[in-house]
Amino acid sequence: MSGLQDLVAGLALLMTPMMLFHAAWSTLLGIVVGSLPGLTATMGVALMTTLTYSLDSNAAILVLICMYVGAIYGGSRSAILLNIPGTPASAATSLDGYPLAKAGRAGYAMGLATAGSALGTLAGIVMLVMIAPPLAEAALNFGSFEFFWLAVFGILISGQLTADTTPLKGYIAGILGLMVAMVGSEGIHAHVRFTFGVSDLNAGIALIPAMVGAFGFAEVLTAMWNKAGVLAIAKDKSDKTIPDLIDLWRYKVTILRSGVIGTLVGIIPGVGEDIGAWGSYAAAKRTSKEADKFGSGSYEGLIAAETGNSAVVPGSLIPAITLAVPGSASSAVLIAALFIHGIRPGPLIMIEQPHFVGLIGAMLIVATLFMAIYGLSMTRLFIQVLRVPYAYLMPVVFVLCVIGTYALSQRLFDVWIMVAFGLIGFVLRQMKYPMAPLVLGIILGDLLDKSLRRGLTLTDGEILPFFTRPVSAVFVALIVLSILFNIPAVRRLAMAPLRRIGRWRDV
Amino acid sequence: MLMAKADRYTAAALLALAVAMFVGGWTMSRLEIRQIHPASIPGLVPMILGVLLAICAGLLFRASFDDTARGVEPIMVGGSWWRLGITGAICVIYALVLIGWASYFWATAIFTFAFALIFSYPTEGTTRSRLTAVAGSVALGLGIAYGSALLFEQLFLVRLP
Repeated sequence: MSGLQDLVAGLALLMTPMMLFHAAWSTLLGIVVGSLPGLTATMGVALMTTLTYSLDSNAAILVLICMYVGAIYGGSRSAILLNIPGTPASAATSLDGYPLAKAGRAGYAMGLATAGSALGTLAGIVMLVMIAPPLAEAALNFGSFEFFWLAVFGILISGQLTADTTPLKGYIAGILGLMVAMVGSEGIHAHVRFTFGVSDLNAGIALIPAMVGAFGFAEVLTAMWNKAGVLAIAKDKSDKTIPDLIDLWRYKVTILRSGVIGTLVGIIPGVGEDIGAWGSYAAAKRTSKEADKFGSGSYEGLIAAETGNSAVVPGSLIPAITLAVPGSASSAVLIAALFIHGIRPGPLIMIEQPHFVGLIGAMLIVATLFMAIYGLSMTRLFIQVLRVPYAYLMPVVFVLCVIGTYALSQRLFDVWIMVAFGLIGFVLRQMKYPMAPLVLGIILGDLLDKSLRRGLTLTDGEILPFFTRPVSAVFVALIVLSILFNIPAVRRLAMAPLRRIGRWRDV
Repeated sequence: MLMAKADRYTAAALLALAVAMFVGGWTMSRLEIRQIHPASIPGLVPMILGVLLAICAGLLFRASFDDTARGVEPIMVGGSWWRLGITGAICVIYALVLIGWASYFWATAIFTFAFALIFSYPTEGTTRSRLTAVAGSVALGLGIAYGSALLFEQLFLVRLP
């Protein structure tokens, strides 16, 4: 019950004109950012972090969460109208959204996407309030051994699930991120590593410049490299933006299942919204009575994808708040923003700020509310936004990348870091290396390094306790299994009994 | 270039990085003078990462010879090299040269104006459309430079470069 009480108390705290004003503009801006192909939620949150330095912590976090929720939802606009996902999270949305738009049902598709996103976020909020407090309490018992394996598990699973082609490229991206985290003063003896005499590197490579580069500048380059899409603006006379309740009720099981899948995917470190959407879409297609309609304008497919990606947002905040391990790339920036605003995410959060989870849940509810209002009422505006030429939009984005990065600690060195990460990020993306494990590596590098060396010191160099403590053993088992499942021969062997059961059923 | 070939080059670069990381970790000070525990030497994790990256580089190199559709997939195709080159060049010049050399206002105004004009100028359009593009780019350049300077300097109290 205390979770619910915290949620209500959080809502009461946010019901001031100033807070509602912040929520209103930031959600709208988030939807605009998300709807523009080339601008992702992570980039929006990273740039917005640089614009919230002067706000008080509650207002700043509210702005960032509204931006996150709005941007993930906003990606559906261009997915439906342009067949280009505004954010990677909306890739599955375009499969059914664009055919609907071409058939003159763009308004209804956007209405369904809005309802799906709102319900998905609400499902995720319920799980956030239920799961986060006990998880934080359990994590209080974690020692160096468990945190070491948690970091390894996070990077491994993120690399595995976000890689486009082969998990190997995800692993490589994760290791490169960890290597970046090795630069600068290390956390145990304060010994300076890999700085090559550059004093600006003594404190390491800051996360915000790296992320603004990898997600901001790299996306400017990607957007200018790619061709623009064709706007589907055919309109059927029966088109409308308010979805029929009967359609939502008919797909209630899909909504619930997608909400759960999205949240669970969100909890897995560094995996993100696109996997939530694809997972939900695949599950809906597998169980649907109208599976043949998927890919050619299925309402169920559209709802599943949007519910799935939006549910990841609250889900990704569960490990971010309780373990300081981000569930998605955007929540990695949120962790950095929380530190900037004096909030220390991690197991101690339930002791230091026991009402924080409720407050975050309340912020998500407010963001969802504004998202639903805008989504159902401003369809025409979003179509106009998609007409803004890149020639005018991209220089503005890059100026914000530069000045936002500079403003963090007012040194040009951070701008150079941003540019370097942008160029490297662009090349890596073209070669199908995922960015999420790289970012997760930068974030978790310090934790992994300190936990391993601290653990070894505690055991006098003995590595056995890393494998014998119960939670560590579970992590080790999960890590070994996830690596083994990537070996085709092992996977075939493991799946053989299941296939045999399937054959018996068919008989 | 095909993905398989690009993967081979990348594997070589990653292997070089892995060796450098391992050697960097190995030769890093063990801080004996401070009598730290030998298991907590600062070079431990860099050495481990070097070994792991070398293994991954080896696997990537081997996988590049597998006969899969992935290997024959071309990279860096389907986009515009001209747009990419111009974008990369003017963004890098702005961030690394103009900022710090000229005042923030003028650096930003020049960059935004140049970017907008290059990509919106109708080379085969009428005089009127050309003038509109120039006027629009000037307005955008000055507006963004003034707006962002005002926001960061006055509201966020940032001392602009």
